[in-house]
Amino acid sequence: MITVKDLKKNFEDTEVLKGISYEVGKGEKIVVVGPSGSGKSTFLRCLTLLEMPTSGKIFLEDQEITDPKTDINKIRQQMGMVFQHFNLFNNLTIMDNITLAPVKLGLMKKEEAKENALQLLNRVNLPEKADSYPAQLSGGQKQRIAIVRSLAMNPKVMLFDEPTSALDPEMVGEVLAVMKELAESGMTMIVVTHEMAFAKEVANKVLFVDQGIIMEENTPEEFFDHPKSPRLQDFLSRVL
Amino acid sequence: MTEWWADVVAKFVAAFITKDRWRLYLNGLGLTMEIAFFAGIIGIILGIIIALCRLSRSRNGGKTFLSVIAGIYIDVIRGTPSVLQLLIMWFIIMKNTTNSVLVASLAFGINSGAYVAEIFRAGILAVDPGQTEAGRSVGLSKSQTMLYIVLPQAIKNALPPICNEFITLIKETAIVGYVGLSDLTRVANQITSRTYEAFMPLIGAAVIYFVVIKILTMLLGILERRLRKSDNR
Ligand SMILES: Nc1ncnc2c1ncn2[C@@H]1O[C@H](COP(=O)(O)OP(=O)(O)O)[C@@H](O)[C@H]1O
Ligand SMILES: [Mg+2]
Repeated sequence: MITVKDLKKNFEDTEVLKGISYEVGKGEKIVVVGPSGSGKSTFLRCLTLLEMPTSGKIFLEDQEITDPKTDINKIRQQMGMVFQHFNLFNNLTIMDNITLAPVKLGLMKKEEAKENALQLLNRVNLPEKADSYPAQLSGGQKQRIAIVRSLAMNPKVMLFDEPTSALDPEMVGEVLAVMKELAESGMTMIVVTHEMAFAKEVANKVLFVDQGIIMEENTPEEFFDHPKSPRLQDFLSRVL
Repeated sequence: MTEWWADVVAKFVAAFITKDRWRLYLNGLGLTMEIAFFAGIIGIILGIIIALCRLSRSRNGGKTFLSVIAGIYIDVIRGTPSVLQLLIMWFIIMKNTTNSVLVASLAFGINSGAYVAEIFRAGILAVDPGQTEAGRSVGLSKSQTMLYIVLPQAIKNALPPICNEFITLIKETAIVGYVGLSDLTRVANQITSRTYEAFMPLIGAAVIYFVVIKILTMLLGILERRLRKSDNR
């Protein structure tokens, strides 16, 4: 589904990603963990060219994302992105947040998009918020809406960058529940998170990103029970 | 005492009542507002365009040609006196035009556009970059994201200072007498030279400006409170 070949990213002089290669299969759930500043966000953002990779290639199925001739807007329609700070459109109602892109990009008629949005809102138990504005929602509600906004585009893959890190503890569960449900539905997912329980339960593979490389990669069982590198052992001893 | 009072009344009558002179002030105020209004509209349209040009970036993040041009425009307008800009418009650029209201509106509009552009630029930059990232992430193009997400929020940010700029503009137009237009200030000045008495016409004109601007400022205050409320909706 997604193929990354020797991805490198520099910010001015600092090399943040030092050559990442990885392949994500259809329907796989990849959880990415690692210390803060190790390049996890940069990695995710490079996948949809929110950051321009310095070198390397990225493919979505057989389309090369990093090819300058590729229409990145078309690619992004197929890749949902969920941010730590939700980034709901503040000037629009929840309904318009969800329907804006499908309608303006000509994928759906307005009525059709609304119907689809209502179904999605029901799926996250927030149908009564359709006419609210983002500022009227709690953090957990905002993040569930942000997920729904991405889903409205019928993406092939969903990327999550620490979706629960900005939430009050009591709201983490409701967002993780939506993500688990999404995982069970067969969505391909790449999730950067510090929720180790989520990783153990949902992930097919867990990646340890450290110092700009994938330092270790394994099934959740092996990853957590038999970490190989000392840096991962050290990291896990601090977060578990 | 009565003599003094009679003198005040006589001066008042000479300044405002005789020959229906109050009509002249009214017409002057009308012209002032007309020029400010058209200049305001030109300024806002120009300001948005200039702000977007100013913020435009090429693929590699460098300034575009348009951005440089917009920067020069803003610099030149802000770096020269508006009286001179008006005179240049009247005597050089549009010297064949006889419609002096048009010339004045354009001159002030072009002047105001530079200030409005800076207000809009600040308004756009104040919108959380996360809004743009989210817009691009659902597949909207740069311009769609700007149009549907960033600009509405930027305009809301910019509305109070823009109204403020318009209020300033009303006072700024007091220099159109330089190109022969009888706005409120020039009318007061003309009446002064007719009645040989400066106090009543000048103070009168000042009071009229003050009242108009005070009313507009109060309306702006109401608008700002409304906007602040809608932030928490
Ligand atoms: N836009 C940027 N400009 C300069 N440096 C950046 C930028 N974004 C991230 N960095 C740097 O890149 C490194 C990795 O950042 P990030 O990918 O956000 O890490 P993580 O998400 O793992 O915490 C950090 O040292 C950060 O300071
Ligand atoms: Mg991060």
